[in-house]
Amino acid sequence: MTRRVRGPRAVLEEWGVGEFRVIDKPAIQEITLGASILATGGGGDPEIGLLWTYKVLDEGKEILMVDPMQIPDEIQTASPACLGAAIVLTEKPPSHTVLNLAMRKLEAYLERPIQATIPIECGGVNSPVAYAAAGEFGIPVIDVDGMNRAFPELQMTSWVTHGVHASPTVSVDDRHNVTVIDAGDDDVLAETLARRAAMAYGGISWVATYPLMGSDVKRTSILGSQSIAWAIGRAVLRARREHLDPVAELLRSLETERGVRGYRVFRGKIVDIRRDFGSETNKGFTLGSIVMEGIDRDRGRSATLDFQNEWLNLRIDGEVRCLPPDLIAILDSETGEPIRTDIMKYGYRGTIVLIPAHERMRTPKGIEMFGPRHFGYDLDYVPVEGLNENREGA
Amino acid sequence: MSRSLRVGFDVGGTFTDGVLMRGRDVLTKAKSLTTQDVTTGIIHALDTLLERSGIDPGEIEMVSLGTTHTTNAIIERRNLNRVGVFRLGAPATTAIPPLTGWPEDLKAAIGGADLVHVVRGGSEYDGRDIVPLDRDAIEAACHEMAGKVDSVAITGVFSPIIADHEERAAEIVRRILGEDVHITLSHRIATISLLERENSTILNAAVIRVMQRAVNSLRTAVRERGIRARLFIVQNDGSVMSADYAVDYPIFTVASGPAASVRGAVYLSGIEDGVVVDIGGTSTDVAYIVHGFPRESSITVTIGGVKTNIRCPDLLSIALGGGTIVKHTGDDVTALGPESVGYNLVRLAASFGGPLLTVHDAAVALGHLTERLDVFQTDFVTDRDRLNALPRSLVENAWTAVRRTIEEAIDKMKTTAEPVPAIFIGGGALVVPKTGIGGVSHVLSPDHFEIGGAVGTTIAEIGAYAEGVVDLDVQDRDDALSHVTEQAIDHAEAAGALRETVEVMDVEEIPFTYMPGRREKIRIRVKGKVLT
Repeated sequence: MTRRVRGPRAVLEEWGVGEFRVIDKPAIQEITLGASILATGGGGDPEIGLLWTYKVLDEGKEILMVDPMQIPDEIQTASPACLGAAIVLTEKPPSHTVLNLAMRKLEAYLERPIQATIPIECGGVNSPVAYAAAGEFGIPVIDVDGMNRAFPELQMTSWVTHGVHASPTVSVDDRHNVTVIDAGDDDVLAETLARRAAMAYGGISWVATYPLMGSDVKRTSILGSQSIAWAIGRAVLRARREHLDPVAELLRSLETERGVRGYRVFRGKIVDIRRDFGSETNKGFTLGSIVMEGIDRDRGRSATLDFQNEWLNLRIDGEVRCLPPDLIAILDSETGEPIRTDIMKYGYRGTIVLIPAHERMRTPKGIEMFGPRHFGYDLDYVPVEGLNENREGA
Repeated sequence: MSRSLRVGFDVGGTFTDGVLMRGRDVLTKAKSLTTQDVTTGIIHALDTLLERSGIDPGEIEMVSLGTTHTTNAIIERRNLNRVGVFRLGAPATTAIPPLTGWPEDLKAAIGGADLVHVVRGGSEYDGRDIVPLDRDAIEAACHEMAGKVDSVAITGVFSPIIADHEERAAEIVRRILGEDVHITLSHRIATISLLERENSTILNAAVIRVMQRAVNSLRTAVRERGIRARLFIVQNDGSVMSADYAVDYPIFTVASGPAASVRGAVYLSGIEDGVVVDIGGTSTDVAYIVHGFPRESSITVTIGGVKTNIRCPDLLSIALGGGTIVKHTGDDVTALGPESVGYNLVRLAASFGGPLLTVHDAAVALGHLTERLDVFQTDFVTDRDRLNALPRSLVENAWTAVRRTIEEAIDKMKTTAEPVPAIFIGGGALVVPKTGIGGVSHVLSPDHFEIGGAVGTTIAEIGAYAEGVVDLDVQDRDDALSHVTEQAIDHAEAAGALRETVEVMDVEEIPFTYMPGRREKIRIRVKGKVLT
């Protein structure tokens, strides 16, 4: 199959779409920061996704983002992404050839060209990677994702809970090993197979996954997810420039962009980290828990967070304050930079912020597939609003 | 060591400050001009200290040095080594080659992209090879580099877990390029996070010669005067490390000078929360202190435009000092610096009949400076007529510009809207405004402020670390942690710290997932005080 090199403008013209947003370097910086905050401690090193996208822009390629409701129903989209342990990616950035290879192999398996990219999640790597791939492929990126956060497993998307599937997925590595995963409608099996491939490759794989039609994208995605990340990133960067409180600006942007309230619940420093990476039992994730000791007005209190790539739950002084799929972010109090599970260190200081998950992630099917019980907690899901309303600053 | 004699030096771009301390007391202080060879400046300061105090040099137990040499070299792109760069990681990692995102002039100053080699090799997280190490490629690259590099930086994927490829590559480099080419291995510099660790490693390799010179200078100076004390260098967290260690790991001293100044400012003023403004002849550093320590930078620290994962205090450096040139059109000030007359103050500044208006001159003209400048062996002004001829409004505009510049710098570092106390130290503190500064509750310049950095080096904690490998299937994690902590405390005590003051600064656990059982490497950093 030959690759079109006409660029995203020509593609949009063909669809009769005149509205789009140009993604330049400041834009991708804002989007990546916002996505990295929404990634709830996971999502990988934003530096890697950013530098990669910069490289694509420096080569003169154009990146355009389009509103999902504008796209034709019958176009073929797919999600280029990194799947594996974030700590491995931080240490082993990819070969420059992997995304192209994964997309080409998926096209070959589908026997159709891919006409737009859809970011799989909000994350420091997987958000910009969808832009970098769109730029390299000369196709637009659509303003959606499957989570509006990051999650550790492939099937944990609004796409699956609304009836579409990850298969077929193509998984490749730096040595150009290729695995085609077609598990039909069994998305958990697709995840298991993709994870095995990633572990066999050395902890990280590069996938082209969720080959969705335009109509499915509209029906099953988190619409406007990229715009939400963009608004948050822009607010935090502005706070840094103008010496405002980045956490307050983040919460404000969330209200404006999504109409939801987030919660600032704890300020402390990390006093213990238990990490258990790579052993047989943990399926190839960065897994463990941390303890934070309160500082300032939280002196004397203690917070415990478990993580599986992303933060999973939060307990303050033994009381549950947040459960999946709601979002937990630990932000550096001065800069608003998220503290990720793969780079956190003893002594890091931060503010814990909780954000309600998007409503398309909170359906009964969603709670079943990525609620507390799925992660092994013997707890019913209670929305973060219920666990925190009227308790802020306790 | 509470009544021990200790000497501290703070070598800045313009001045070398020295202090002799007994216990908590300043016995004598001295200021000299920093010289090209560094040694002469230190010897001048040391001789003044010995002369004035009349003590027996043999009694001195500790000599410590804070220096801005490594940072200045990186920022000014001066005296840097030409660095041969090896990354062991292909075919992975090629999407982001080494030196991506580096400023062009810094790249050029360390020899440029021609000396960069990404070769096949590196490890997976589980200890397997990504691909076997390409020894031939390393050999070929070494032959090509011969005579073109002063030092080599080697970064292997997953070397903090398994350093084998880095060590094998180092053997080849040593065999072909010889002992004179210094080698920095990334696993000795920082932890997981390839790009930042690689940047830190390359920068370390680039400043090897600068640190060797500074340490040799200090060694020569003290030996010539009959001092047999142990030598220490202030590192980024404000503690000191032995000079023998510092010559191989200069990157850990990039914030040495400012870290010493912050320690000195807190010690001399007794203020633990606020801002420290350290004003020299050429530049000013501003740090925000919380509970007596500088706030640490989060996650990545940018040095000379390069992102690293070195742990550092969060500092703002601006080009403002006593010798900063005031640029003007008529009576309007157009810019402060960034150039400074530095130690040519007495030749070039208006107060001494020179052609240029400096911050020093504005202070003198407005009557803020009335003391003798011992360091220049001169009065603060020698050409009163030349100074009186300056238009009053120009001088006032210059003074306002200096105030505004300091105000902006403090504002950038503050994390609260409330006014905070400010501690002004360094020689330049004499010649800047201390009243009417927005965002500041009051400005304090404590006794000995002009040599605050030198004082800071002598009261700095002693840093030490210990490492151990444990198997968590056999050993309890808490027991293992406390065992390694004990070792680190022993090391700190052996280096001169008071045992009861030693505290844990950092705990790092890296799992060895490629080995049977649940083995991991534990690395614990501690620091302890030399005085109670």
